[in-house]
Amino acid sequence: MSDKANDFKTLDLTVGDVFSKEARLKARNVNVYYGDKKAIDNVTIDIGNKEVISFIGPSGCGKSTFLRCFNRMNDTIDSCIVKGDITIDDENIYDKKIDVVPLRARIGMVFQKPNPFPKSIYDNVAYGPRIHGLSENKEHLDGIVEESLKRAGLWEEVSDRLDSAGTGLSGGQQQRLCIARAIAVSPEVILMDEPCSALDPIATAKIEDLIHELGNDYSIVIVTHSMQQAARVSKRTAYFHLGKLIEVGRTKDIFTRPQHHQTEAYISGKIG
Amino acid sequence: MTKKFINPIEASEIVKSSIKKRRAKDSRLRLYGRIAIGMATCFLLFMFFSIFTKGYPGFFQYYVTLDIKFDRERIDPKGDLSDTSLYEGEASKIVNESLFSIINPKGRKAKKEARKIVSSGKDVRIAKLVKNDPSLFGTVTKVKFALDDDIDSFLRGYINRDTPESERRISDNVIAFVDKLSEENRISYEFSDYILQGSASGNPEMAGIKGAFFGSILTLSVCLLIAFPLGVATAVYLEEIAKKNRITEIIEVNINNLAAVPSVVFGIMGLAIFISIFGMPRSIPLVGGMVLALMTLPTIIISSRAAIRAVPPSVRDAAYGIGASKLQVIFHHVIPLAMPGMLTGTIIGMAQALGETAPLLMIGMVAFIVDVPNSVMDPGTVLPVQIFMWADFAERMFIQKTSAAIIILLGFLITMNAFAIYLRKKLERRW
Repeated sequence: MSDKANDFKTLDLTVGDVFSKEARLKARNVNVYYGDKKAIDNVTIDIGNKEVISFIGPSGCGKSTFLRCFNRMNDTIDSCIVKGDITIDDENIYDKKIDVVPLRARIGMVFQKPNPFPKSIYDNVAYGPRIHGLSENKEHLDGIVEESLKRAGLWEEVSDRLDSAGTGLSGGQQQRLCIARAIAVSPEVILMDEPCSALDPIATAKIEDLIHELGNDYSIVIVTHSMQQAARVSKRTAYFHLGKLIEVGRTKDIFTRPQHHQTEAYISGKIG
Repeated sequence: MTKKFINPIEASEIVKSSIKKRRAKDSRLRLYGRIAIGMATCFLLFMFFSIFTKGYPGFFQYYVTLDIKFDRERIDPKGDLSDTSLYEGEASKIVNESLFSIINPKGRKAKKEARKIVSSGKDVRIAKLVKNDPSLFGTVTKVKFALDDDIDSFLRGYINRDTPESERRISDNVIAFVDKLSEENRISYEFSDYILQGSASGNPEMAGIKGAFFGSILTLSVCLLIAFPLGVATAVYLEEIAKKNRITEIIEVNINNLAAVPSVVFGIMGLAIFISIFGMPRSIPLVGGMVLALMTLPTIIISSRAAIRAVPPSVRDAAYGIGASKLQVIFHHVIPLAMPGMLTGTIIGMAQALGETAPLLMIGMVAFIVDVPNSVMDPGTVLPVQIFMWADFAERMFIQKTSAAIIILLGFLITMNAFAIYLRKKLERRW
């Protein structure tokens, strides 16, 4: 492993093991600029298959920006420029030939604020399969909607009111609806950008349980402000600081034996 | 720190002493607001009161009832009820004979004056009657005819019988005839069938807004069909697709400036481009609609852009995040959510277009056109231009007709807005 690792100069920056044995997503020397400002500085990391990895770090450290590179959501921001390579199953997602539409169907995303469409619960979940033509007929679509809602742990609560408004649900339910919407298109990776920051502790606990379960089927990258959450849900943790990836390692190790002094300072609450 | 904190007791004293002043300011602001709203309401009420009291009589006019002998040979000499046959007939003569039998005018001068009592539309009226119901032939039926506008004005009291004859618009003879007709209860004041069904006419008693009304509908339809899709497409392109750079900035500034350009300038442009360069006919609703579309475009674009900008970015993120293409995001999410706002802008634009006169004068929609336009290629005029023309005429009766037409225009506007508000409320159904 160390031979391969020597190819990347990030190693003098990043502490810990950035590589994964069965990597699905590989980011290599990624730099992100907003106009002249560098938001992400030379980050290299692997995301393993069916792995839950969390990105932590103080506000403005670039963890959300980096997360949005994986499904090219940064494309929607004019001034944002991404340099470096990100591959999914060794296919460069920033290749000119790659279309973002199928890419985003493979890599789903859940946002900070629950953002269901102003449509019915059913239509929210069915929207993805509909636009991608994933369902053969109405029964099939019904099945996809039911299965997605079940996996998102929302089926029991909404099965009798699929036609009512998605925006009429509570915050936690809305966020689970968004998760159901994301998994309805059968993605391989789910990116979660602080999915619990707008939720109360009970709703948060439900989402965290859900992330645990979903981790058996999907690769999940979760950005979080809460170190406790990172500790609870993820197997690996990456610590970002000022656009740099400082340390990556097993969650247990990061929180008990951080190797880098900045990581330690953050964990112990000295910066943040 | 140069200054120390004031101690809490002192601070609360200071706050208390300023409370009275602040309250007074609050209540003064409230008072100004109420005065402003009150004044606006007063002006509005005054305007409506003035228009309705002036315009209400314009919907009515004086009629005379005459017994008409429907003699087929005289009215319809060819016997086929065709326009030429009815035109060759002697309908006017029959009406006059019936009239003379009541008032008995003596001498040529008196007869000449008597012929003018009944409006010159009498033959048209008879032609219409027999066309609708040929069974009238051979009968003697009571028919109502409009009275000439001078007599109408006299009956309304605008012409005083005590004024010396030379200074009056109607002679002593005519006054005597009218008195005679009144005695026999043949004169009635009724809802005018000309104001709604008549078109432009030099005879005020026969003038109506039908032609202008349909002209307005055709012109506005053209305007809406051009301006709405173009405006929405422009707004969507500028907001969702175009990159923000110098060029889009220049376009944006220009659109905002266009919204402030006087409407007559659009008329001159329409004249120069559509009529001079493309050689389109003058006075047609198609050209009128295109000119008004150019005029309303900036309004629609600006309000549509504001509506699109108000769509929460989280909805776009959600759609993009799930893999929707740009087109799908725009058509599935942005436009449906922005539609109520876009419609509001369109309503404002259309209301402007409905009331616009100046640009239409430039492209010749001020022409005197009697026929009702059947298509956008037929010459026509529109309500505000009709009002403008009537306001220009000298005859007393046109004053009432002008006010009546204004009421109709207002009614048109209110109906249009009500429909649009209904549409907006329906689309606005938020989840």
